[in-house]
Amino acid sequence: MAYKPQYYPGNTSVAKNRRKHMSDDLEKLRDIADEDLTAILGHRAPGSDYPSTHPPLSEMGEPDDPIREIVEPTPGAAAGDRVRYVQYADSMYNAPATPYFRSYHAAINFRGVDPGTLSGRQVNEMRERDLEEYTKRQSETEITDWGLAGMRGCTVHGHSLRLQEDGVMFDMLDRRRLEGGNIVMDKDQVGVPIDRKVNLGKPISEAEAAKRTSIYRVDNISFRSDKEVVEHVQRVWELRTRYGFQPKA
Amino acid sequence: MVNTASVTDKPIQIRVFPKRLLQPETAEKLLNEIDQTKGVIRMLLNGKNLPRKVTCGPGTGADVNHPDRMIINVGGCAFELHIIVGEVIVEVENESAMEDVKKACERALPFPFEFKRGHFIKRRPTLTDYGKYGFRSKTDERINLEDERILGLIDPHAKAETNLCVIDTEKK
Repeated sequence: MAYKPQYYPGNTSVAKNRRKHMSDDLEKLRDIADEDLTAILGHRAPGSDYPSTHPPLSEMGEPDDPIREIVEPTPGAAAGDRVRYVQYADSMYNAPATPYFRSYHAAINFRGVDPGTLSGRQVNEMRERDLEEYTKRQSETEITDWGLAGMRGCTVHGHSLRLQEDGVMFDMLDRRRLEGGNIVMDKDQVGVPIDRKVNLGKPISEAEAAKRTSIYRVDNISFRSDKEVVEHVQRVWELRTRYGFQPKA
Repeated sequence: MVNTASVTDKPIQIRVFPKRLLQPETAEKLLNEIDQTKGVIRMLLNGKNLPRKVTCGPGTGADVNHPDRMIINVGGCAFELHIIVGEVIVEVENESAMEDVKKACERALPFPFEFKRGHFIKRRPTLTDYGKYGFRSKTDERINLEDERILGLIDPHAKAETNLCVIDTEKK
């Protein structure tokens, strides 16, 4: 029987969503054009060439190395792209993703990633064209709801605040807002205006967010209601404690 | 004996904490409803800053133009909101005014809110206030302020003109 990764324990919808995020078994909810995505990332002008930081690897004459033969470089590394970043903030009010699960999604399913996981935001550094592929995956699928999450390179404040009246997470720099039932973004991730209005689709309803979230909350699905997860967390804690215990010290 | 405590009565302070951050229209409606209630002494708005310009990161200096940073009218006084309103602290004269404020909030807010009585705005001047305003005279150590209601409403270093709105002074 072929090995099937288990990713995460638990029987609640939150645990299932966590497994979905980790395994990249994600439902695509919207289409965002490549050029629009490039514009909101703000690293290069849409349609322009990728600036490079070194010549393509094929032209560099690399030294003989068995590891280089085994590991195929990512398209961005092979072309010599710059390392760029994308950062997301997710609301604590039942946003589909959390920083940890964005990082799991990146680290398990993509190569050449450098995820940074913080309490309210998750930043990921990659070669530029790899980053665009990764961002497209995260932006178009159920891992991101643009009403409850935001692409924020700076001034990320909002993840722990109450939602606005329209159900959208607060954004101090007004990068994206609800317009005619759709979330529209007209600035890049650091708040610099761009030459287009990028339609990021309809935000999901409150009830739908409660189903799609990967956050345990007492007012939705509490952590303690998932016995298998509690058991798993306690086991990890116990093993870590035993491993760290040094009788001689 | 030197007189130091100029505020002797104890008005009631209430914190109105809505479930959502208020859009300017709702904030305006709420503040007007509270303002029309008899016995309200002062109100303090708290919330998250809406900056004019991007202050950090590669986009520093770019205009924000946040749509919620707009001018609202409360009790005939127009002022610009610098924040998205998250809570309103109200000081009232007595218990009956407190009930009226609660009813005003129920009329204005389309969603649930917390309504708590407590101590939210300072009632007596602190050392910083004395540093800013000084004593009235050598023998009178009360703070050198005509209207002590402004104490606690603004940061001692902030400009009063842009942060303080005085409504209906003649009646009061």
